[in-house]
Amino acid sequence: MNENTDKVKTAEKVEKPVINPSIQVTVSPHLSNTAFTTQKMMIDVLIALVPLLAVAIWVFKWHVVVQVGISVLSCLAFEALFTSWRLKKITLGDYSAAVTGVILGLSLPSSVPWYVAFIGSMAAIGLGKIAFGGLGYNIFNPAMVGRAFVLFAFPMALGAAAYQVAGGMEVLTQATPLTLAKQLGQSTPLWALLIGNTNGSLGETSAIACILGGIYLCIKRTASWEIPVSAIAALIVFAGIGNLTNTSAEWTVLHHLVGGAFLFGAFFIATDPVTSPLTPKGKVIFGIGFAAVVMLIRAFSGYPEGVMFAVLLMNAVTPLINKWTIPVPFGGPVPVRK
Amino acid sequence: MNRNEPTALERFINGILPENPVYRQLLGMCPTLAVTNSMEPAMTMAVAVAFVLLSANIIVSLIRHLLKPHLRILVFTLTIATFVTIADRILQAYMWDMSKQLGPYVPLIIVNCIIICRCEVCASKQKLGPAIMDALGQSLGFALALASVATVREILGSGTWFGLPVMPAVWPDWVIMVLPPGAFLTLGVLIGLVNWLQNKKKQTA
Amino acid sequence: MAEEEKTEQVDETPEKGGNYIAQAWLILLLAVCFGASLTGVQISLGEKIQQNKLNETFSQIPNLVPGSDTGKGFEIDGKIIYRAMSGDAQVGWVVPATGQGFADKVEILIGLDTKADKLTGLYVLDQKETPGLGNKIVEEDWQMQYVDKPTASQIEVIKAGSPTVNQIMAVTGATISSVAVTDLVNKTVAEIKDKLASNAK
Repeated sequence: MNENTDKVKTAEKVEKPVINPSIQVTVSPHLSNTAFTTQKMMIDVLIALVPLLAVAIWVFKWHVVVQVGISVLSCLAFEALFTSWRLKKITLGDYSAAVTGVILGLSLPSSVPWYVAFIGSMAAIGLGKIAFGGLGYNIFNPAMVGRAFVLFAFPMALGAAAYQVAGGMEVLTQATPLTLAKQLGQSTPLWALLIGNTNGSLGETSAIACILGGIYLCIKRTASWEIPVSAIAALIVFAGIGNLTNTSAEWTVLHHLVGGAFLFGAFFIATDPVTSPLTPKGKVIFGIGFAAVVMLIRAFSGYPEGVMFAVLLMNAVTPLINKWTIPVPFGGPVPVRK
Repeated sequence: MNRNEPTALERFINGILPENPVYRQLLGMCPTLAVTNSMEPAMTMAVAVAFVLLSANIIVSLIRHLLKPHLRILVFTLTIATFVTIADRILQAYMWDMSKQLGPYVPLIIVNCIIICRCEVCASKQKLGPAIMDALGQSLGFALALASVATVREILGSGTWFGLPVMPAVWPDWVIMVLPPGAFLTLGVLIGLVNWLQNKKKQTA
Repeated sequence: MAEEEKTEQVDETPEKGGNYIAQAWLILLLAVCFGASLTGVQISLGEKIQQNKLNETFSQIPNLVPGSDTGKGFEIDGKIIYRAMSGDAQVGWVVPATGQGFADKVEILIGLDTKADKLTGLYVLDQKETPGLGNKIVEEDWQMQYVDKPTASQIEVIKAGSPTVNQIMAVTGATISSVAVTDLVNKTVAEIKDKLASNAK
């Protein structure tokens, strides 16, 4: 520390020309319209999540209220706690912690014990966000960091087998559609996948609800349309290749598209403005990469679903995509390729 | 000799916290991350490193006048490798299960930077007394660092400490803490904590 | 301070002489001393270490093959296999095998009767499967399922229901680890069954 400040001092003494940029870039989310604020964007996301919550409550009943309730409350509490530790102004008012909480809650199975949502929220806010410096500085989507943490911390409670619960609601006695397809080769009717009357993570089951909420987000420009559109197109291509090599498979391209968490991830998680690329070209690359990783994991790994890993992996390469796709400034110098 | 040179006792104390090999110098990360999923392997590793560090420091300090500068690293490595091999064989002979559990990380002590660092900065320039005290202090600091990481990981990850149950039976084991990611997370949080405490101390002083 | 010392000593060893042996006398001397001490360590401890390695397999032999009390190493196609002995009579075989699990290599010991007609036991020597899920393959209750399975047909893994004579139940939530172990058993037994039967004493 001291050495650095000393160096800075000596640098000033020799009066090197210090360039002070007159325009400074604040941290993302970058808003092109002044009517946008982080708070308004987050409220839009919450509105878009309403159809998912509604379907989830219809399918999983009170489980949803419990899981989402715990994760929202604990996300808000940890946000307040950790920001106060950092001696920063507590920023619950921008609702970003609430959005993280809802998405985390909706990405959990119905049966997990209460502490999973609680510890997941702690990891999401603490490791995923505050450790990087708060909203805008985080590299990874906080909700997915939280989910990854609890997936590895409690594999019994979140593994593919955990979704199946004997007794209780009928929908819970079946394995999830993707697990059925992967391990037993059984297909689930498209209609059930569309309306969401299947087992799965709380928010992912209904394709129609995901599309409704997603279109609202894109129209409001809260989510950039490039990511979901390119992801869906890419998934159709990759799954199509898979289908062509095995034409007798009952699990078709459409099943891949509307089953599992793909649409939920493509519209709500991958579009997080902080952790996705800035430029339209970058967003398209991001969407294609996201779909490719999802399909790779679904097809070749031990896990039935790969949306969480796909989001985290693509988050990790986002800075690189940003660097690749920086546009040439208008009228500015053309950057020289070395 | 420089008058500001620390005394032997100061060297010993320095190793524990002010110049802790793990928390202040960020050396020896490989065993710190790899064998701290519970206390038992962590402490075995700490003892093995202490043995190697002490022996290497003694030998290097004794022959410090004979060292040729351009061949000194070779001498250090030779000395360290010998004692690591001895430690490895002793473990295999008397603690077979532990040796299997530590796996390649015992032979990897050879490339543990703490040891070569102490040989270079201390033992090759100091008399036997300070070199021994330095080795003891650094070993103790390393053992404490391993113990702190292993304590967090074993209690959260298995609900036990040294294999003894310390958490209530309903405690859900955080499996991630005994897996490699748990090591990185725990070490990161602990280094942050140590830095925070250090800063606080500076501010109040 | 360090630099002063360096320059002094560099002067002592001029490059023009180029007598590397003379420069390296300390290293050569140390190497000889260390080599001698390591030889000493090896002589005094080597036997014990070898014994430890063998014990690991041998101590399991009575559990893997009922009625046996000791084992004898034996080589088929470059693979070490153990005869499970009761006194001087052979009562079965113990075959080590290594294969890919869910996370990493899985090392197992398979116990067979003398004619290699049925399995008498299974033991997992080493594994790195997911704690809490896959690593339940080390539990005795799960391994006991393999006892008395006939080797004439392949063993299958099922996830639900009640297992028939050549089926075993998967560890809940860890089908891949269970299948990995079972495949390893099937493959190893199929490869070596006939050779064992013909070599039985």
